[in-house]
Amino acid sequence: MLDKVYSGFGYWDVFIWLLFFAISAALVLFVRSMGRNDYKEGTDQDEIFYGSNPVPEDGADMGVPAASAYWGFVEALKPYYNALIDIHSGIASDYVGYFVLTVAIVAVLVLL
Amino acid sequence: MKLERYLDILTKSIWVFHCNSGSCNGCDIEIVATITPRYDIERFGMKLVGTPRHADALLVTGPVTKYMTDRLRRIHAQMPDPKVVIAIGNCACSGDVFYKSYNLDGPVDNIIPVDVYVHGCPPRPEAIIEGAAKAVLKLEKMKESLKKAGAAK
Repeated sequence: MLDKVYSGFGYWDVFIWLLFFAISAALVLFVRSMGRNDYKEGTDQDEIFYGSNPVPEDGADMGVPAASAYWGFVEALKPYYNALIDIHSGIASDYVGYFVLTVAIVAVLVLL
Repeated sequence: MKLERYLDILTKSIWVFHCNSGSCNGCDIEIVATITPRYDIERFGMKLVGTPRHADALLVTGPVTKYMTDRLRRIHAQMPDPKVVIAIGNCACSGDVFYKSYNLDGPVDNIIPVDVYVHGCPPRPEAIIEGAAKAVLKLEKMKESLKKAGAAK
């Protein structure tokens, strides 16, 4: 179990992984120890800087979602995205149905 | 004392955070001018930072509108000790023509303690740099008094 696992592209070794983790942890702890420790806990000095506004209670309100970066793209292709969202019902049997249907169509195309 | 002497005393360059508390941007433009090649305040290691958590000095422009009062207090509270506040421009120092306006809580020293006042409408970059140099002296004194009081290094 603890031997090297060869994948054909390289290998995976549990001890090398542990060594990597230990070195990373040491680096993180070193950088952390370089920080100031004379701040006053429990005051605003301990608080997140949120553009000088109060920090929102709900984490979801904390920032602009990454999806906003391509808002125009989604808006331009709305009919396509709406169709995609509609067929994503979240029910596994629906997805299996789509899979069976797609396989059937591909099979018919291949066989013909 | 010449400007060079002021800066000899610097053991660590001060980093400044800038808060516009309702300024017309005149003073903000002059602050930006201090980091242009002509004045180049960054050659002394002094630079504008993006969060008060990294700052030694707070530059405040504007007469402090009601909307900005809590925000200014919060920024000041989030700066690590020791810290200095520099009021930049007539509005920040005294309210100037907006003094007694219905939507002001300022000037700045009504909200937070101010260490250095830099007058002008807007002040020239040289005046802002001299104000920052005076703030360095004050910061050094505060550091010494904190050390004597037994603050952690």
